[in-house]
Formats: sequence, structure tokens, C-alpha cells
Amino acid sequence: MWTPIGAGKETFWSELIKGTCGIAPVASFDTSAFPVHLGAEVKGFEPERYVQRRPPENMGRGSQLAIAAARMAVEDSGIDLSSYDRGSVGVSMGTTSGEPQIVEQYNDVRKSQGLDSIPKELAPKYPCHVIPGNVAIEFDLRGPCLMIPTACAAGNYAIGYGFDLIRTGRTDLMLAGGADPFSRITYMGFARLGAIAPERCQPFDKNRKGMVPGEGAAVIVLEPLEHARARGAKIYAEVLGYGVSCDAHHMTAAHPKGDGAMRAMSMAMSQSGVTIDDIGYISAHGTGTPTNDRVESLAVRRLFGSRADKVPMSSIKSMLGHTMGAASAIEAVACALAIDTGIAPPTINYEEPDPDCDLDYVANQARRIDPRVVLNNAYAFGGNNASLCMARCEN
Amino acid sequence: MTARIVVTGTGVISSIGAGIEEFENALFAGRSGIGPRTLFTETVPAGAAGEIRNFTPQQWLGNKGLRVLDRSARLVCVASHMALKASGLTQPEGDAGDPNLGLVLGTMFGSVHSITAFDWSGLTDGPTLVNPMEFPNTVINSPAGQAAIKHKLRGVNSTISAGLVSGLYAIHYAMEFLRFGRATALMAGGVEELCEESYLSFAKAGWYSASGRLAPFAPDCDGSVLGEGSALWMLETEEGARKRGVQPLLEVCGFGSAHDAHGINAFNPRGAGAAAAMREALRAAEVAPESIACIVASAGGSRAGDAMENHALKNVFGACLADIPISAPKAAFGECLGATGALLALSAGAALRRQAAPPTAGYQTGEDGLRLSAQPQPFSGEYALVNCFGCDGNNAALVLKRI
Repeated sequence: MWTPIGAGKETFWSELIKGTCGIAPVASFDTSAFPVHLGAEVKGFEPERYVQRRPPENMGRGSQLAIAAARMAVEDSGIDLSSYDRGSVGVSMGTTSGEPQIVEQYNDVRKSQGLDSIPKELAPKYPCHVIPGNVAIEFDLRGPCLMIPTACAAGNYAIGYGFDLIRTGRTDLMLAGGADPFSRITYMGFARLGAIAPERCQPFDKNRKGMVPGEGAAVIVLEPLEHARARGAKIYAEVLGYGVSCDAHHMTAAHPKGDGAMRAMSMAMSQSGVTIDDIGYISAHGTGTPTNDRVESLAVRRLFGSRADKVPMSSIKSMLGHTMGAASAIEAVACALAIDTGIAPPTINYEEPDPDCDLDYVANQARRIDPRVVLNNAYAFGGNNASLCMARCEN
Repeated sequence: MTARIVVTGTGVISSIGAGIEEFENALFAGRSGIGPRTLFTETVPAGAAGEIRNFTPQQWLGNKGLRVLDRSARLVCVASHMALKASGLTQPEGDAGDPNLGLVLGTMFGSVHSITAFDWSGLTDGPTLVNPMEFPNTVINSPAGQAAIKHKLRGVNSTISAGLVSGLYAIHYAMEFLRFGRATALMAGGVEELCEESYLSFAKAGWYSASGRLAPFAPDCDGSVLGEGSALWMLETEEGARKRGVQPLLEVCGFGSAHDAHGINAFNPRGAGAAAAMREALRAAEVAPESIACIVASAGGSRAGDAMENHALKNVFGACLADIPISAPKAAFGECLGATGALLALSAGAALRRQAAPPTAGYQTGEDGLRLSAQPQPFSGEYALVNCFGCDGNNAALVLKRI
């Protein structure tokens, strides 16, 4: 994984439980024309260290980040890809915007030199399915290969579908996750909506003022439990199931009563064969915007009732910003590591409780909680909701 | 686990017709929708395309709420309106909408035009002057989200991108979701709008036909011609359809997929992935190659792509290929990218119902050893195979059964 607080799961996790913030003034483009200036960019990324089969400049930053995350995941898993039937290994990725920087380059050339000067290599790098395609080519994977561009919930959709493909027996191994590069387009859109926090990201705090756009990529290796056991693999967590729904209400605003969010969580639990009493931790979508955090808290309260008081729920977006299509994949890694280490990462910048957000947000300090089953929430433009259920793998 | 999945309604809009009846009639009459392009001619000089002329979504959707929808969203809203109506699942006025009804939509370039226009507006007018109403259209899942709002689809709402094979991937995704019990009815298929950005992408890469003719498997084929449209099936489990008392139109019984991991802009000349996808689809449907009565080919007029498909077909079907009628309907509606898989699947469905392979518009020679024709080719059989292969290494195939 590559995130605004560091690369690789060790760095990511140690920084995360320390409460390190990866949000800083935007460096990749000039924000002087904007009323806000903060972003959560990945720093020090050298694509040539990871993209080995072809020149990194043959692809966009989304693909480069995805390949880097995939390479780290494969190395960490200890699998030997050459021992697999390549047709049984697939790639399932999620994204919000795919390769938006290609659109930016397209428009920059169009503005300065005209449409005729746009290089022929540019546009074919754009369609978002090239991200999983580039991963498949890098590692010579010949099974199913798809992108699920369900915006900011996409990582959960992609991991969930990777889980489906393994459960149906179609694949023996899946690389699943999400990727999104930093984009002036995304930044401009959220800035125009007035959704970007001017000073810091404070999910669930009474004075929260918005989200902070970010970038990143995370990939996890999924395989059948018996395979993992047979090869003596380090098992971080078991994927139990997932649930998805649509608000069918508004393109950008959540359903005011959290209807879709509740249905996604319910479906995730029923598909997983668990109940609210089993859930020991929730990784919140928690963007930091006034409405999103209120609605998510309400949905959890309505679904969990008084049990909600006993379920810690934190938003790591307080530290990472909103990494878009990568967010729920990065959060799924955080969930797996929370299960593995027994520690819940904090929601930082939490100072003043909001009566509309009345849950336990693991304020400012990581906490030992030792959860058995966790829920990873993700919500998106288009009214898309996805919750993923993961559990400690009992021996 | 392996519940049978059936089609209970269809929605389609393309350059050869709106609605399944018009679409099928045009297809079987051998009509092509490819002609002079009228869209974005101010910025890109004229050329051929399978464009939907005089597209008036109001005809199906009324005037309300159309203004904010981009062309893709309008196409999907029209196709889903038709599929809901045909399957009897239109949500009643005043109702919140069925939480088990959803949409799985394939797309390739997705919102490329909306996102490019939004960025352009920021570049030329300044970032604080962009229209906030246009920002939601920049995300790739915007058409699916807009259709959900329009038609009150509260269940699964997924967008799938696998390049030119997105439509078939979306159909398979929906099949799996129905089998896992995550929905009771799902529309599945794809959408793609004709726009300057995807057009230039193809033209500059040298994939566009100079003659403006998409000629599948022809010795003088010189490239692709882009089209546009949206095609959706309403899918349900057979049991679910029976419980609702609806007569299914078709069964979707096997899907296969494989990536060639060969190159992002090149067909694998050996066609290994294409053959693997076909074999997997046949295996999943438990059908022997000789039981396939009709093949709807992916062939999109690219010499390398058509040669790859020809090679893979011979590899999978061997001698029996000579007896199987083949249709290459992209000659009629063009290369519709993310919508292509679904349009090909609808063409195969039409073939099974009419027991004839649709004509391949403009087809002339037969020297490639494939049974194509510019006329309908009658057959008698239960199963059809749909191929969908992309130049990016993605391959998919689907087996359908007549009911």
C-alpha cells in the first residue's frame, strides 16, 4: 500500500496507531486560486521501483500506485506466483476517477497547443480498467480482471467481488483493492461544493468542517482459507461477507436517515452469518463533512441500538484524508491489522462531542480492543453504500 | 448455489433502433446505423459513427430532471425504463422503491466527456466558477447512480469496467449477485456515449476505419467505427421469475473470462485468452461446442482482432465450426465499447428466439472459413455463444439458452 502517511503495512500501521497526520498543503499543483489548500498526497513515490515489466511512463499514476501496492502485497503474502495456474489468478480493483491526471494532461495540451497536438499515447491510458489491466500485465495474471468504479466505496466493492470469485471457485488467488491518484479535478469539485476542510479533518467532532481529498492505493491478497493454511501463510483476517445498497436519493448527499447505509451493514452481517452482537469494531466512512458523519452515526445508532455504545468506531480519514476509491481498500487493511494486532486506530482531531454523533469514536488515542468481527463502512457519490465484514481467523 | 438465471425484460437504445423490437427488426433487415457523425463536428471534423440521431430521451422519461443528466446517464435511464417496463418491475409512483432491485452497468470510457468538460471549465473560467451541479457527473458511476434515482432502484448499484468486454462482465456480476441472494432482480448490461474524447482516442491511435466502414472478417477491413448506446437485461433467478408469474425470455447459462496479460493496446495473436474464455463459458453452461447453434462474434473490423477471434474459434470448435452460423453485428451498430457486450448478447438472444443468425451488414466474402452472411441464417438449436474480446487483453464469452 501507498498512503499519505507512508508506504507498506508496517509504516502505515505504526503511523496510524501513533495518530500521524498525512495532510499538508497541496504540493502537486498550485492551489492559489482555491479558497482551501490542504491535501493528502502520497510523498516520495518512485514508480520505477515497482513497475518493472514496462516503462512506468507508459501508464498513469493510478496504475503505478496500484502496481506498487500489488507488488508489496504479493511479497508480503509470501506466495510464489509461478506455482499458480495463471488463469486462476485475477485482479479486482476499485476507483473513483481512474486516471484523472490523463484528462488534466489532455486539457493542458488542448489549451496550450490545440486538440491536434494531443499525443496519440495519451487517451488510451485513461479508461479506468487499464489499472487492473496494468497489474495483470505486470504480474502475468490471466484470470478475471476488472475495475469496479463505484466512487468512494469502490475498494469494498472490489474486495467483495474478489471474495466472490474465490468463493465460487473461479479463482484460487485474487489481488483486490483500490487506487486513486491525486487530481485537480477532484479537488476542484469538492472545493466548489464547499466540502474541503480549511485547516484539518475532524470526523465526528462538533466543529468538523469537511473532508480533505487524498490519494493512495492498497491491494490485499485473497485466497481460500485452506490454501493459506496449507502453505503456512500469515493470515491477517478472514473475509466473511459484504453488503451493498443504493440510496436512490441524491447524487452527492447521503439519505438523511441513513437508509442505504443501514441496509448495506445489515446485508453485510446477514451474508456473513453474524449479528450486531458479534461486531467489535467499525471502520467508519467518516469523511469529516457535517452531513456524512451525522448520517453514518445515525445509521449505526438505528441499526445497533444501545449496542452501538459498546462498538468503537473510528475514522482513519482524520489522518489519511479521503483517498477516494482507495479509501475503503486502505481501511480494509486497517481492519485486518486491527484484528491481527487487537488495536483500534484513533480518530484524531476529536475535541468537542456533537450531540448528533453520539458514538465511541476512539478519540485521539489508539485503543486495545481485540475485536473478533469488524465492519468496514464505505459510502459514495451515486448513493452507493458498501460494508465489508472481516473476522479473526480462529485456528 | 447455481440457481438458473433468466432474462425477463430488455431495454435497448442504439443507432439501429430504440426498444428491442426496433433493434431486432433492424438487425435482421441487415440495416447498419453507421453513417456521417453529427456530434462534436465543430471540434473534430466529420467522420463515420454509429450515432443515435435525434436522441430525444423525453419521449420515454418526460422533461423532469433531464437537464443535469449527461448523455450516458440519459441513455441508461432510457434503457432501464424499457427493461423495467418490459419485466413489469417499474416502481409505482409514491413508492420508495424495492430494496432488492438494482442495476449493474458496464462502461469503458465512462464519464470521460463530463470530467473533461468540468476540468476544461476550471482551466478556462477558473476553479471557483465551475458549475457544482456538473461535478457529480464526473464520477464513473454517475449514470448508474442517476438511473437509480430516476427509477428508484435501491438495491445493488454497481458499475463495472473491463474495457470492451464490460457489458458481459456486468451480466456475470449480476448473475453472481442473484445467486448469492443479494438481490431479487437486477438490470445488467452496459452504456457508452459517443464523445470527442473516446473518438479522438481511437482516431489518434490509428484504430479508426479510414473508409468509415466496420467490416468484420473482411479482407479489406481497415479498422473500427465507434457507436453508442445502452443495452440492459432484467435478470432474475428462474425461481424468482416463476414466483412472480412471468415468462422468461432466455436463460443465461455460462460465462467465461480471461486476460491475456499481453499488452494494454494489442490483441494476443495466439488468442489464448479468447479461447480460454469461450471454453470456460461452455464448461459453465455444461454445453459441448457442437451444441452451439449460433455464434455472435466480437469481430470489430480490426485486422488483428478479427484474426485472433478466427484463430480462437477454430481452436475451440475445430471441424464443427463450419456448420455453425456466425453473426458479427458490430457491422450494424459499431464498436459501442462498454455497451458492446450487452448489445452482442441481445443480438444472440434475438437469434435464439428467431432461430436465425442475424445478418452481418455489408458482409461479402466467405474465404475465411467462417459461416457469415449478409442474409439471416436459419438454424435449429438451443444454445448461442456470445464473444467479446478487447484489444487490452480482456476476453469474455457468454452462453445463452432458448426457453
